[in-house]
Amino acid sequence: MDQTINFKQVTHTYQAGTPFAQNALSQVSVTIAGGSFTAIIGHTGSGKSTLVQHINALLKPTAGEIKVSGRTITPATTNKNLKQLRKHVGMVFQFPEKQLFEETVIKDIMFGPKNYGVSDEEARLDAKQAMGLVGLDGSLQDKSPFDLSGGQMRRVAIAGVLAMKPEILILDEPTAGLDPRGHKEIMDLAEKLHQQQGMTIILVTHQMDDVVDYASDVIVMDQGKVVKHGEPKDIFSDPEWVYDMHLDLPSAAEFACRLITAGVPLKTIPLTIDKLADAIVGVIQGGQSHE
Amino acid sequence: MSNFLFGRYLPGSSWVHQMSPQSKLMLSFYFVVVIFFANNIWTYAALSGLILLVVLMSGVSIGYFLKGIRPLIWLIVFTVLLQILFSSGGHVYWHFGPFSISDTSLINGGFMFIRCLLIIMISTVLTLTTTPLAIADGVQTVLRPLKKVHFPVDTLALMLSIALRFVPTLMDEMETILNAQRSRGVDFGSGSLRHRISAAVPLLVPLFTGAINHAENLSTAMEARGFTDSEHRSKYRVYRWQRKDTISWAVFLLIGILVLFIRKS
Repeated sequence: MDQTINFKQVTHTYQAGTPFAQNALSQVSVTIAGGSFTAIIGHTGSGKSTLVQHINALLKPTAGEIKVSGRTITPATTNKNLKQLRKHVGMVFQFPEKQLFEETVIKDIMFGPKNYGVSDEEARLDAKQAMGLVGLDGSLQDKSPFDLSGGQMRRVAIAGVLAMKPEILILDEPTAGLDPRGHKEIMDLAEKLHQQQGMTIILVTHQMDDVVDYASDVIVMDQGKVVKHGEPKDIFSDPEWVYDMHLDLPSAAEFACRLITAGVPLKTIPLTIDKLADAIVGVIQGGQSHE
Repeated sequence: MSNFLFGRYLPGSSWVHQMSPQSKLMLSFYFVVVIFFANNIWTYAALSGLILLVVLMSGVSIGYFLKGIRPLIWLIVFTVLLQILFSSGGHVYWHFGPFSISDTSLINGGFMFIRCLLIIMISTVLTLTTTPLAIADGVQTVLRPLKKVHFPVDTLALMLSIALRFVPTLMDEMETILNAQRSRGVDFGSGSLRHRISAAVPLLVPLFTGAINHAENLSTAMEARGFTDSEHRSKYRVYRWQRKDTISWAVFLLIGILVLFIRKS
C-alpha cells in the first residue's frame, strides 16, 4: 500500500476557544514520501510531536486534512474505525517503557496484535519475531517487564509496537536517556527496519548526528510551521540558519566549522565523521602536494 | 478533559487575584454557609448579584465560566430533579407513586439550581484566581490554630501542595499513556462495560507505576536537600492581609447580614 503521508494546510489549536488556547501547528503543508527515513527536527515546542500525532489520528486537525494510507483525516473524523489506520501506523512515544503493564514481557508484546483481532498463537509468533528484531533474548519472555533494565524495557515497548507489523513507524525521541550503546542499537534497529522491511520511518529527534547518519529527508519545524524540508546536506549547508533555528550542527560539521575559523581551508562542511576525515586528509595532502 | 475548568489556575492581576489566599479560602467557605441561609427570591438575588460582582472583579469572562460549568450540568440536573420529585407540600400538579410535582417543589427545584450554580461559581473563582500552591498555603494559615492541639498542620499542608503539584503532571502522563495504548489498538470509551473495565488496566497500571516512581524520586530529592518536617520553615512567598481583603470581607459580611434580614423566617 502507498505509504505517502500528505499534510494539507493543517492547523492544530490545543484547547481551542479557551484562554489556554495555543496554536501548535499553523497551516502546515508537507508530504512525507513513502519508504523514506524522515527526521523531524526543531527546538522544544516547535510542534514536532503534535505533527506526528496527527499521522495516526491521535490528534485531529483543527483545520485542514491529512492523507495517510488511503484515509483522509479531517476535523470531522470521529474516533470510530481508526483501528485499521493505527495498525498501519506504529507509534513509539517518548519513554515508551512507561506504557508497559502486563505481567510478562511476551504478554505485553502480544497486547497490540491481540487488540487488532489476531489469534493468541499468531500474536505469540508475532511477539517472538518482534523480540528477535529488537534483540531481546528469548529467555526474557516470561519475566516481568518491570524487572528488566531501562534499555531492555524500552526494547520491549518497541517490540510491542513492531509486533503489530506497521508499515509506517513513528519514533518520538526513541533514544532519550539511553547510554551510547543503547542509543546506537535503537538507531541501527530503525535503519534495519527501513532497509530490510521497507518501513517508512519518521524520527523525531534532537540528535543531529542521527539525522545525518540515518535520515534521507529532514523536516525542520519552528513555531508550528515547517520551515525547511530537504536532504540533510541541504539543511545543514547554512550553519548560521541552523543556529537561528536554535538547533545544533552535527558534531562533524561543528568541528569542521571550528577548523575553518581556526584557519584550516576546508572547501565544504562535511556532515559525517568519515567525510570530515576525508576532508582533513584532503587538506593535508593538498598542502603536501604544494610543497 | 481539557474543558474541565474546576481546579485550574488562570494567571492574572485582578482584584480577586491579588487577595491573599487564606482570606479567599475563608470567604468562599463563608459564602457557601450564607447560601444555605437563603430561602427566597430576594436572598438568592442578592447572592447572585454578589457572585456576578466577584466574577467581574476576577477579570475572567462570564462565557468562560458558563462553559466550565457545562461538564457538571448533569450533576446539577440530577440534584434539581430529586428536589422537584421528592419535596412535598403546596399545590400538587402531578403525582405517581412516591413522586409528585407541586408548586413548592418547582420553586425549591429552582432554588436548588441557583444554589448549585452559586457554589460552583465561587469555588471556580477561587481555583481560577489562586495557584494550587497558594491554596495549600492558605489552608496552612487557616488551620494554624490547630497546631496548639499538636495537629500536624505543616505536614498536611505539604502533602496537599505536593498532591496539587502533581495533578497536572499525572494528567499529562495519563494523556501520553492513553495515546500510547490507543496506538496499540485499545478502544477507550466504547464497547460493553466489561470491555471498558478491562481497557482501564493498561491505563491504570502504568499510571500508578509512574506515580510511585515520582513519589520515590521526590522523597529522595527532598532528603538530599536536607528536608525535615520538624524545624520552623520560612516561606519564599508570604501572603499578607491587605486592604483588598478587608474591603471584600466588609462587602461579603454586609450581604450576609442583608440575607439574614430578608430571608423568609
